[in-house]
Amino acid sequence: MGGKVTCTLGEVKQRADFIVYWGGNPAECHPRHFTKYTIMQKSKFLPRGRKDRTMVLVDIRETKSAKAADIFLQVRPGKDFELITILRAMIKGQAVGDAQIAVAGLTREALEDLVQRMKAAKFGCMFFGMGLSMTRGKHMNSAALLTLAAEMNAFTKFVAMPMRGHGNVTGADVIMRWQTGYPFGITFNRGYPRYNPGEFSTVDVLVRGDCDAAFIIGADPGGTMPQPAIDHLKRIPTIVLDPHVTHTSKLARIHITTAPQGIAAPGTAYRMDEIPMPLKPALKSPYPSDEEVVRRINEAIDKKPFWLPEGSQPQMLTAQV
Amino acid sequence: MLRISGGKIYDPANGIDGAIKDLCIDDHGKFVETVSGGRTIDAAGMIVFPGGVDVHTHVAGGAINFARAMTPEDHRRTHAFIRTKSRRSGLGGMAPTTFATGYLYAGMGWTTVNEAAVPVLSARHTHEELSDIPIVDKSTLTLMGNNEILLDQLEDGEYERARNVVAWYVWAAKSYGIKAVNPGGVAAWKWGHDAKQLNSPIAGYNRLTPGGIIGNLARICDDLGLPHPLHLHCNNLGAPGNIATTLDTLQHLDGRRAHIAHSQYHAYGGDGWDTMSSASKQLADYFNSHPNLTTDAGAVLFGDTVTITADGPWQHLLYKLTGRKWGNLDVENETGCGIVPYTYRPSNLVNAVQWATGLELLLLIRDPFQVFLSTDHPNGGCFWRYPEIIKLLMCADFRKECLAKLPDAIKKKITLPEIDREYTLYEIAAAMSAGPARALGLKNKGSLAVGCDADLVIYEADDNVEKMFGHPRYVIKGGEIVIEDGDIRETPHGREYIAKPSYDPATEEFMRPLFEDRYTMSFENYPVEIERLEHPSIQTCKPAN
Amino acid sequence: MPITLRLTREPVVPLEAEVLCPDTLAELSNAEIRALTVYHGKRQLPLGEFFDIEGERSADMVLHGDLRKVRWIGRAMSQGSVTVHGKAGMHLGAYMRGGLIEVHGDASDWVGAEMSGGVIRVHGNAGGQVGAAYRGAMRGMRNGTIIIDGSAGLEVGMRMRRGTIVLGGPAKDFTGLQMKGGTIVLLRGAEIRTGAWMNRGTILSLKPLQLMPTFAHAADYNPGFVTLLARHLRQFGVTLPCAETDGRYQLYSGDLSVPGKGEILVWQPAAID
Repeated sequence: MGGKVTCTLGEVKQRADFIVYWGGNPAECHPRHFTKYTIMQKSKFLPRGRKDRTMVLVDIRETKSAKAADIFLQVRPGKDFELITILRAMIKGQAVGDAQIAVAGLTREALEDLVQRMKAAKFGCMFFGMGLSMTRGKHMNSAALLTLAAEMNAFTKFVAMPMRGHGNVTGADVIMRWQTGYPFGITFNRGYPRYNPGEFSTVDVLVRGDCDAAFIIGADPGGTMPQPAIDHLKRIPTIVLDPHVTHTSKLARIHITTAPQGIAAPGTAYRMDEIPMPLKPALKSPYPSDEEVVRRINEAIDKKPFWLPEGSQPQMLTAQV
Repeated sequence: MLRISGGKIYDPANGIDGAIKDLCIDDHGKFVETVSGGRTIDAAGMIVFPGGVDVHTHVAGGAINFARAMTPEDHRRTHAFIRTKSRRSGLGGMAPTTFATGYLYAGMGWTTVNEAAVPVLSARHTHEELSDIPIVDKSTLTLMGNNEILLDQLEDGEYERARNVVAWYVWAAKSYGIKAVNPGGVAAWKWGHDAKQLNSPIAGYNRLTPGGIIGNLARICDDLGLPHPLHLHCNNLGAPGNIATTLDTLQHLDGRRAHIAHSQYHAYGGDGWDTMSSASKQLADYFNSHPNLTTDAGAVLFGDTVTITADGPWQHLLYKLTGRKWGNLDVENETGCGIVPYTYRPSNLVNAVQWATGLELLLLIRDPFQVFLSTDHPNGGCFWRYPEIIKLLMCADFRKECLAKLPDAIKKKITLPEIDREYTLYEIAAAMSAGPARALGLKNKGSLAVGCDADLVIYEADDNVEKMFGHPRYVIKGGEIVIEDGDIRETPHGREYIAKPSYDPATEEFMRPLFEDRYTMSFENYPVEIERLEHPSIQTCKPAN
Repeated sequence: MPITLRLTREPVVPLEAEVLCPDTLAELSNAEIRALTVYHGKRQLPLGEFFDIEGERSADMVLHGDLRKVRWIGRAMSQGSVTVHGKAGMHLGAYMRGGLIEVHGDASDWVGAEMSGGVIRVHGNAGGQVGAAYRGAMRGMRNGTIIIDGSAGLEVGMRMRRGTIVLGGPAKDFTGLQMKGGTIVLLRGAEIRTGAWMNRGTILSLKPLQLMPTFAHAADYNPGFVTLLARHLRQFGVTLPCAETDGRYQLYSGDLSVPGKGEILVWQPAAID
């Protein structure tokens, strides 16, 4: 549990002379990342821009992003966790055997060079993508990289942050946290928020059939989730709010078309570094926004009698023992 | 309309010390001379205070939200607010969720809170969270002490420009005042360094020193006429021997008004962890002879909490010392924050000194309009434990019982055992309400006078001080009974106080290219739109000249 | 005379039944037991809606049925016994302090999470996070014994501090993740990343393991404590080889990345002539 050591993207632009992209392909998935925030930017502290920065790409294969990299490290598939753990040992001067290093698909020279460059950096920043967070190990892969960044601060300034997918995931995370204390995987069945990934996270709940209704806003589980989850969505009453008719819409009981966020509906999006950006719609839409639809549903529910019998209240499942 | 009849009134803003009189409240939520009709609360035998005002707390925004992410195990074990038809669900604990924050503050009789640290870049986030905190009124302070665009102006000696830049930022953030945290140090942390010497140039600068930042910001605050003076978290927080830095800082202020944040953390003698001692007497003496300074105690309470501060270097040190989880977020151009969950233990000599120092400051600074009740929530302890501090201030015997539980070695390091002073109810009302309201420049708060906001709390007199202050009988906010007999009755939305200092309109064009160079967001998107604030209330700025 | 509960109504969504705990039932009459509240999703219902209940005022409980959706059985119990004939749902015996739980069937995730005493025996398979810490907590099980006859899932013994876990079947990844103490015995080995980021504690495997590259081979020997452990585990029907004539344990120390002082012992049978 090293915690999380991070910064906003402007800090990377200003100061980061050593940038690592791990398990991600920004050239294709975040096409403006290099030019707006990282290697191509000139700043007060890095006036020569690209020439003042070193970029390392770590991935299981050479993607288009490798062209932009100074150093490409091809890690053996499924060995990211091992590699990061080796680095955690090496930065502390712990001896790791040659055979053990070879497990990760790299040479001792390559790793010693990497460690030396990391320690010599004035400001290191590691971005990690789904190649890390969605492969075997999942959250532990992410935790490994964040811990490495935290530990590097004993030597020099170092940060790490995840590259995000589409759909204002960060915004949902931020708001869930301030209202419930937790980022995702939350149940309210006892009248207050409880958190347990694996027990309450969406894919697990759907795969096990742990819910008897589904309300999907701006997501398409019917197109991305394992078959048992899709089958379950078909069985139960499923409601979809989306600008498009999605895979999920096709198996849902109800689909409501809504205005697309940021294009025809206002709001706030939170960037990957948690900076709130105002969304100013450029177009008008004949459809209501998601917010409007949810408000109207809430109003209709409020008109009905409160669902709990008078005087009764659920009890906390207290963790006190 | 409401009448509170027969209660014992403690209204230090108006010199009322326990007189029994009626209070009348009109339909606009203000105190009035008389009222006819409406409800009467029979407060005979009860004690009436103006609603509490927390002058320094961290309840909304990127930093506290980061802390929420880091402490799921605390959320699991803490007091849950169960959803009812009128009340949202939430969790208390070290980093309470937004709805719970409002209920917990109001439940104790606090009706105004000042979010003490907001980076302009995420101010929009802070305002959205504040909108989700029910009942209490709010204000915020913008972090300026490490803003590089500002620092560059100060380095070049451009005072006028600097003043305009600060005013522009305060309005862009839609905030109430200026906060400086470890001036220069947080900027230096971006390279992994700190700024410990008040008179040494900061990393990355040739001339500008932390002292220079402080002196200039204090002057800017006065020149802009902001209602609250510069709110300052001094350099060298937490370090043994830092009393020297603190006194040096106060001297730098050169007679200007200022508010020193959580002074407990800045009042240590000694030269290492082993020799660390309380230097509260020296600091208290300075406050006692300089009436234009105010401070909040930043008292420590034993137990678990989470430390959240813009003092990044300090948090990295704490992480290395304790091996606990560490969160850090540097914000471009402006500031940063560091988060480490921490446990204060009575058996830990350093923690014991900290515990004593906070109480000593509260007891040695004579004027309760100068020293205010706070724990720098959640750093020294959670805000919902304030009743425990009130008990420690009012009961010397209880203090002695607590002292007896500390390690013997503490005796040479603190002066608390010699202090017999016990706060009176009048003084508590000043330290928790009238004093902070006055320091914040919120004229309608902390007072039960006609024309002021009808924010008050009614306690049942009880010898058990902690129980009395922890469980008010009634809490009234803006004339509405929000808490009655421990139940949440109403959850109105509070206001947000903001200041609008004036600046030269050319400042925008001056800022634009600097902004585009330093930041990664479009200049147009940066200022917070006034529409995003729930019930904003703009306070006038009266420049010193 | 134990209290017997037979599942009569299949829960459609998870049923949270922390009331199924000897400490709760020990002093209650049959009618009071039937009236206890369980949570079927968000609905509060009496226990009697889901179970046919016989008996009362006993610290011994026997459950019959496919209880895979029934969660928190035996939560925080400190006495008595819980026997399940069928499957058991998540959080079986979480926070347990004493007494005995026995499942004649499969259990789910979080068996014995953060327990501090008592014995849990699962004759079928278990899920992940056996004896583990809940998310964000510094420590998992503090003491107690968990024996799973079958296989288990991910993160078995994650951040455990003390106590013993024995798995008869293979475990998945991250067994002993960030272990702080205690003992995990793997009779049929585990998948990858066993002992990752270990601080202290002992993992003993009778089958070869794919270890982290940050574990170093330290010695081959027959540690004395294994004889004691073997003796202790015999009462549960678990056999641990320890005789020198039968083979030796390869000792690996790690995890160097922490750096930790954990030990992983992998059994190497003697060559057969």
